[in-house]
Amino acid sequence: MMLPIDIRPDKLSEEMLDFSRKLGQGMENLLNAERIDTGVTPREVVYQEDKLTLYRYQAPEGVKRNPVPLLIVYALVNRPYMTDIQEDRSTIKGLLATGQDVYLIDWGYPDHADRALTIDDYLNGYLDNCIDFIRESHGVDAINILGICQGGAFSLCYTAMHPEKVKNLVTMVTPVDFQTPDNLLSAWVQHMDVDLAVDTMGNIPGEILNWTFLSLKPFSLTGQKYVNMVDVLDDPDKIKNFLRMEKWIFDSPDQAGETFRQFIKDFYQKNALINGGLVIGDREVSLTHIGCPLLNIYALQDHLVPPDASRALAGRTGSKDYTELAFPGGHIGIYVSGKAQKEVTPAIGKWLNERS
Amino acid sequence: MTEDWLSLQQKYWEQWTDMSRKALGAQAPATNPWENAMDQWWKAFAPASPDLSRTFMERMMEQGKMFFRMADTFTHNLPQFGGTTTDGWSSLSKTLNDMQQAFSGGQEQGDQALHKMMAFWEMPYDNWQRMMSSLSPIPGDLLRNMPHAPAGTMDKVLSAPGLGYTREEQSQYQDLIRRSLDYQKALQEYLSFFSGMGMKSIQRMRATLERMQASDKVIDSARGLYDTWVGCCEDVYAEDVQSAEYARIHGQLVNAQMALKQRMSIMVDESLGAMNMPTRNELRTLQDRVQQVRRENKALRKEMHSLHLQVAALSGQEPAASPGLRPALAQSAPAPVKRTVVRKKPVTPTPADQ
Repeated sequence: MMLPIDIRPDKLSEEMLDFSRKLGQGMENLLNAERIDTGVTPREVVYQEDKLTLYRYQAPEGVKRNPVPLLIVYALVNRPYMTDIQEDRSTIKGLLATGQDVYLIDWGYPDHADRALTIDDYLNGYLDNCIDFIRESHGVDAINILGICQGGAFSLCYTAMHPEKVKNLVTMVTPVDFQTPDNLLSAWVQHMDVDLAVDTMGNIPGEILNWTFLSLKPFSLTGQKYVNMVDVLDDPDKIKNFLRMEKWIFDSPDQAGETFRQFIKDFYQKNALINGGLVIGDREVSLTHIGCPLLNIYALQDHLVPPDASRALAGRTGSKDYTELAFPGGHIGIYVSGKAQKEVTPAIGKWLNERS
Repeated sequence: MTEDWLSLQQKYWEQWTDMSRKALGAQAPATNPWENAMDQWWKAFAPASPDLSRTFMERMMEQGKMFFRMADTFTHNLPQFGGTTTDGWSSLSKTLNDMQQAFSGGQEQGDQALHKMMAFWEMPYDNWQRMMSSLSPIPGDLLRNMPHAPAGTMDKVLSAPGLGYTREEQSQYQDLIRRSLDYQKALQEYLSFFSGMGMKSIQRMRATLERMQASDKVIDSARGLYDTWVGCCEDVYAEDVQSAEYARIHGQLVNAQMALKQRMSIMVDESLGAMNMPTRNELRTLQDRVQQVRRENKALRKEMHSLHLQVAALSGQEPAASPGLRPALAQSAPAPVKRTVVRKKPVTPTPADQ
């Protein structure tokens, strides 16, 4: 029987030399790396309010346009350029190719002056204003919405409060049941005194969110991935892509204190989106008020929003047209993987075109 | 065997020095030539690199050293040039036992490499420390190594009532110390939980190696060994942090840190007030009031716009522009960015709309 470890010294020496050589070459490539760009598809600013910016993306020529515009509602945590991170990995580019007229909300970076913004301000203020702007611009009563992650949960709430303004709703990696047993984030915030945190910090710093996300897989995310990167250091394009992703991971806006307070208490601690009792502004939010067609997309290896957290949407709305799409990948892979470009984005476009 | 090992390391050092063509290796390194070689090389390159690249490379260097250190630790006692499987297992077993001892602090004079390797389990704490440092003017975590005072004595001191003119101030300092101690206690519990996970990860590694041997699988590279170790650590971590106990410890740590920070903020605010400077508390009151006024103002504007549309529809006229609307802009280039002003630009048709 052989020993399970058989690393010969000469082979180890060779491995070290190889590692060092790659680091040396990589250093040169890193020094030559250009500025990291974020967002690749041409777009224009069409509406602004406070720190919010609404973009409309330039459609490719020769593609028949869906007459109902599509608004992407991204999460408040992290930045929305994930949906358009690089030329060959862009959800937005894929949606444009299917004929969608794509708009995207960039919520901006809240500072202390935005501490008192509530979920009501975000949804019944900013989001509603963007949707009214698009409706009026296109002369339509209702538009399509694609909500991503926390933005998906917000889109559900918005649709429940304003059903007449939403024609079709797509949710991607969206938590609905915030207390599934495999939801680590949820387990960790159950004992957190969110009032104390918000009262102390005002806004919740992005660094706290970074720490929380890295804590989900600390050894892989803060150690192993850098070792794996050594293998591709000789490829300037791959370095650039890695650095772009690295920038996105750590580019976490602070969270407006009052919004964070309600989000953690009502969504995570009370699970009010499915248990009931969720009140935003002066409106009670009930998923049963959602009657439009729904496409719910989740990732099977999602460690941030477990599949069961998303699947909980089934049967909880008033929609008679509910479809699910399971993607064999993770929370980020669903936007940036090659597989997602081939499967997820075309599926969204097809589903929307059939219903618009 | 050990001599062969050292001569290979020396050979590596020489090859490396030659490859990098830097006059860095005039003197042979005294201990651990591999790590020294990497360090020397990095010292030469680091100052020239931009910040982002430097951080990135440092992380790779750190992890690179980690996995070669592991390979070194696991293999240098193995009877590779002769010896039996039983000898090999007892050597592996000894390494795993030493790791456990290093972790529990029982190997005071032990192998430095083992200590450094087990520092791998400090990574989550290191992340916490970095995060807290970014939120504090004081770098690092001063309270981690603060000497423990006997709980009873401290409680007595802290519960003694303040007297006289500075009564309130005394009470605030007492509260500050109390919260510091609470945080220190929470941190110790957090670290102790991680220490437990570290011990389990070694057991997991042992079980993994046994399984591999039973199925005739072999790790033949430093990278393979490192990946196996990361896998064991990540598995143990994933199981344990899902427990109710960890959720409690995690919550306690965050809450204790916030409670401490809150007390410090209150004291800073009071000092600012004493200097006739605006305080955070005052600013927050103003922020709340401003936000409420803006909320009402926006709602009124929206309502007015809606009424305009209704009137226009009833009278069959074009709707008048609302105060928040701006006439169409002809150009397709992005509009200049302005903050705090609601501005609307109707969408211009593109060829694809036709």
